[in-house]
Amino acid sequence: MKNRFKVLRAERDWTQADLADALNVSRQTIIAIEKGKYDPSLTLAFKAAKLFELKIEDIFQSED
Amino acid sequence: MNTVDTNEQSIKTKQNRNTKSLALWTGLWMLSLATAAFGPKFLWDYHSVITICTVITNLVMGYKMIMANKQHLQDLDELQQRIHLEAMALSLGVSMVAGAMFGLLESIKLVSITPNPSSILFVMGITYMIGMVLGTRKYG
Repeated sequence: MKNRFKVLRAERDWTQADLADALNVSRQTIIAIEKGKYDPSLTLAFKAAKLFELKIEDIFQSED
Repeated sequence: MNTVDTNEQSIKTKQNRNTKSLALWTGLWMLSLATAAFGPKFLWDYHSVITICTVITNLVMGYKMIMANKQHLQDLDELQQRIHLEAMALSLGVSMVAGAMFGLLESIKLVSITPNPSSILFVMGITYMIGMVLGTRKYG
């Protein structure tokens, strides 16, 4: 699954640590999501959508 | 910048607290294990009542350590939990396979030493550590 975490974070001028704190996860998790090495749970995806004030499908896209 | 869950305690705070608690109970468990192992011979000349008390103390410390570890795992975030799960799967699998074969070595006359079951703890610990390193690299 592709995601726009890095772009959305950069647009808001947030660091990975800022985003990790806001989503209450470790920085390691943010790094893994940004690199596409880890697909977050639905719960975390909804939290991210709420934080970025976007719909989930505006953040995550299927690769097919 | 707002957090999504303002009522939720920060993951860093919880993890710091849990790590300290796990370190404390692990230390106490090891200390009580050493007391139970060496005390009867060197400190109280195999006095049964004292030995039973140290064994019970060790079991209580072990229970507290298990609970501290459970809490530590519960408060990790979802990726950290996955890394630990994969490391545990590796550790359990290797320990089971190696332990079964290790137990057989003497009876099938491949080694002359008597296998010590506690050696499997080292296999378990080392494979768990390898699993953690592999998981951290995989998702890092």
